Amino acid sequence: MIVGLICLLFTLAVYWVCKRVYKMKPRIYLSPLIITPLVLVLCLLASKISYSSYNQGGKLLTDLLQPATVAFAVPLYKYFNVLKKHAVEILVSVLSGSIAAIISSAFLARWMHLDESLINSLIPRSVTTPIAMSVSQVIGGVPSMTAVFVIITGILGTILGPIIVKLFRIESEIARGVLLGTSAHGTGTSKAFELSSLTGTISSISMILAALITLGIAPVVMSFVLQ
Amino acid sequence: MNKLRILLTGIVQVAILFFVSIAMNKISELLHLRIPGSILGIVLIFILLQTKVIKLEWIERGANWLLAELLLFFIPSAVGVMQYIPLLESEGLQILLVVVLSTVVVMLSSGMVAARIAKRKEKKHP
Repeated sequence: MIVGLICLLFTLAVYWVCKRVYKMKPRIYLSPLIITPLVLVLCLLASKISYSSYNQGGKLLTDLLQPATVAFAVPLYKYFNVLKKHAVEILVSVLSGSIAAIISSAFLARWMHLDESLINSLIPRSVTTPIAMSVSQVIGGVPSMTAVFVIITGILGTILGPIIVKLFRIESEIARGVLLGTSAHGTGTSKAFELSSLTGTISSISMILAALITLGIAPVVMSFVLQ
Repeated sequence: MNKLRILLTGIVQVAILFFVSIAMNKISELLHLRIPGSILGIVLIFILLQTKVIKLEWIERGANWLLAELLLFFIPSAVGVMQYIPLLESEGLQILLVVVLSTVVVMLSSGMVAARIAKRKEKKHP
C-alpha cells in the first residue's frame, strides 16, 4: 500500500513536470501522455516494482476517468446549439469512421497474419475502454488485451491527428473534432480541447457516438467480414 | 479564504460527478445494460442541465478541472502496457502497423466526410 501511495505521488510529480515542459515546448513527442508513462515504466523496471503494486496507487487516477467522462456533459450542454446545427454531418462522419475502424482493423490484422483472438482484440480499439472491452468480449477477443490496444491507439492518435489535419488541410472545427474523437477516444478529445473548446466538444460527442455505434454494429459488421 | 472556497467547491463538485458515475454503474448493472455508467451519467447530467433541474454552476468548476487533467487519468493505463512487453516484443511491429494504418483510415474516413459535408453546406448558405 505504501509502495502504491509513493507510486501515485511519483506519477503526479512526473506528470506535473512533463506538463510544464510541454507548455514551454509544445512538440508532439513531448506530450505528457508519451513522456510520463515512458519515465514511469523505466523507473518501475529499474526498481523492479511490479505493475500490480504500482497500480494500487495508480488505479485511483484511472477511477477518476469515470467522473471525468460524466464531466463531458458540461461542454455538450454549453455547445448544444452548435451540435444540433451540425448533427447530420457529425452522425454521418462518425458512422463512416466507426465502420472503417472495424473493417480496416480486421483486414490489416489478418494481412499481418495475427491470430484470431489478437485480431478480435484489435477491432474495437478506437473507442473508449469500457465499451471496447465489452465489444471485445462479445466478438471473441481478450478484453484486457483490448484495453492495452485502446491506450496505444489513444497515444498514436494524438500524434497522428495533428499530422493528418495538416497534411490534408482539414480546417473545419467540426471535421477536426470528429476526426479526433472517432479515432482516438478520450485522449484524442483532450488533444481536440487543446485546439479549441468547440473542437473538443465536437470530439467528445463523436467519442460517445463512436462508442455506442461500435457497440451496436461491431458484431454485425464482423459477421460480414468473416464470410 | 477565497482560494480555499474555490478549492472546496471544486472538490465537492468532483465528488458529485464521481457519485453520479458510481450510481449509474449500479443502475446499468441492475438493468443489464451494456453501456458503462459514465456514459449514462453524461446523458443524465445533460438532461438535468437542459431541464434546469440543476444549475451549471453546481458542477462547472469540478467538470472543468477533470477535463483539464484528462490525460493524467490515462497515465496508469499507459504504464500498464509494460505488462505486455513480451507480446509486443514478438508481434509489436505488426500490431503497431495495424494500429497506425487503421487509425489513419479512420481519421480520413471520418474527417474527410465531415469536411466535405461542411463545404457543401457553406456553398448553400454562404
